[in-house]
Amino acid sequence: MSTNLDVGNVLDARRQHDSSLAREKRAGRPLYVPIVLLLVLAALPALQLIGGYNYVLHLALYTMMYVAMASSWNILGGYTGYVSLGHNVFFCIGGYFSGMLLAYFGVSTILTAPFAGLAAAVIGFGIGLVTLRMRGPTFIISSIALLMVARILFDNWHFVGGANGITLPQLSLDARWMKIPYYYAFLVIAAVTVYTSYRIKHSKFGLGLRAISQDEVKAESAGIDTRFYKAFAFAISAFFVGMAGAVWGEYLTYIRPNIYLVILVAANMVLMCILGGKGTVAGPIVGTVLLVLFNEFFVATMGASELNIMGTGIIMMLALLYFPNGIVGTLAQKRRLPRFLDWD
Amino acid sequence: MLEVRGLCKYFGGIRAVDQCSFTVERGSITALIGPNGAGKTTAFNCISKTLRPSAGEIWLNGSRIDTLKPHQVTRLGLSRTFQISRNLEDLTVLENLVVQSRVPSWRALFGPAVAEWEREKAMEILEFLGITRLAHEETRSLSYGQKKLMDFGALLMSDPEIILLDEPAGGVNPRLLEEIVARIRELNARGLTVLIVEHNMDLVMRLSHKVVVMAHGQVIAEGAPSEVQSDPLVLEAYLGGAQTLPVAPTMEAVGHA
Repeated sequence: MSTNLDVGNVLDARRQHDSSLAREKRAGRPLYVPIVLLLVLAALPALQLIGGYNYVLHLALYTMMYVAMASSWNILGGYTGYVSLGHNVFFCIGGYFSGMLLAYFGVSTILTAPFAGLAAAVIGFGIGLVTLRMRGPTFIISSIALLMVARILFDNWHFVGGANGITLPQLSLDARWMKIPYYYAFLVIAAVTVYTSYRIKHSKFGLGLRAISQDEVKAESAGIDTRFYKAFAFAISAFFVGMAGAVWGEYLTYIRPNIYLVILVAANMVLMCILGGKGTVAGPIVGTVLLVLFNEFFVATMGASELNIMGTGIIMMLALLYFPNGIVGTLAQKRRLPRFLDWD
Repeated sequence: MLEVRGLCKYFGGIRAVDQCSFTVERGSITALIGPNGAGKTTAFNCISKTLRPSAGEIWLNGSRIDTLKPHQVTRLGLSRTFQISRNLEDLTVLENLVVQSRVPSWRALFGPAVAEWEREKAMEILEFLGITRLAHEETRSLSYGQKKLMDFGALLMSDPEIILLDEPAGGVNPRLLEEIVARIRELNARGLTVLIVEHNMDLVMRLSHKVVVMAHGQVIAEGAPSEVQSDPLVLEAYLGGAQTLPVAPTMEAVGHA
């Protein structure tokens, strides 16, 4: 009697064995971390009830603004791999768009910020279609050129006040509560930006962007419309930076080219992403918090001279020596990332 | 199905491809061969629009494709691999496959990166190639041969009608090569048209229905493997004189020498 081997079972078993070998990234993200963070930040202004904590609020507000800007920059610089050193141009466009509306029509920038973002995005899309044809160092230089062109333009544009800028009307609030509206505006902007960044990373669009950052020729041949993807990423990334710029102007009570169009603002966004880990969701946040804290620490201990910049620079160098892909990026690669930071 | 008419590509003063014309019939396996520097890969790159042709026309299924962008060519059903396999190193194998699949709509663009049907389809392809267990590995940790297999699998994700394989046998061990040959045959039997650029003569002669021989950017012979092998022009192009082909010589050819 011949033994009839049941091959089907064997194949099934092998299939199961094979798929059990395939290591899938563990599901389930630490959702409580962002929620707790949001609640704490939302409750922070209550400090004003028991004393004067304007400095703490300013620091938190400033950090949230840069969280939004760095996360936004990360969509283009991290996911797509196009390092822009001129992203503060959109910060400026947003600031002037809403600032002018406030100066002439008295509409609060907090209300017009989304439109300022939209204006920045539209201009970003157009600029992106042109400059994103370049790659690598050439693109970086083109982005610096964009910044210089914008600076000359705004310095000499009399309608928007030229190099002196214009003063914006202030809210008639007690000094104690003065920061609160802007604080919450930046809280919302930062939260929406980080959420958008997270959604993009896990979408088809994000997969396409990551493919482009790896090998653009291959991505195009895989059927991705790379030109559109890149320009669209540029637009989204300009949108949130523009929104932040809008509110920042009213918060400072004036708009002027030299608060927006200095390379330090763009460099900050880039350094925060690189320190935290570009291309990760949590990286820009970690980078921003650390950079702002170190900056404040060195200003407090070394004074607001050149020395404090050196202090921050040394910290950056040391950090990148041990975390070449940024803190979150390197830890994730070594599979040592603490769970509360694993937002990807 | 695929028709190349008078294709030219110049690099400065060099005519890499010069008035090259040939056709690929539906359902066939066609090989493009020739000595080093004959312009095979350049012709290939022009067909998939990775390079922009200097002149000439390329027709796929009755529509002209040399005016399109590379991603549009892919969406019309022509997919390719690269000679040096170009992978997206930071992406997992599964993502490398899914990247090639068509995005059905605007909404899907912002939906999950890997939809359920795509995961199933990709896993099916990986199973067909026998590398299911690698699905969630990052591509950079794969061996060269595994990358080649993955590249091949990624092609199938876009539901192509014709695939262009650039040296599928390059740097692949003999056992894996057998595997790839078997897969190509199987896919061809299911109706997929294949165009191969290859140096491995043995593989070409065994696999292809039709061989197109290029030299100095021009097509010098076209026909069934056995015909081409004995063509004096081909022998001259390969060896600079009338001799045999380097691999898989036929008695006839040896006799002519």
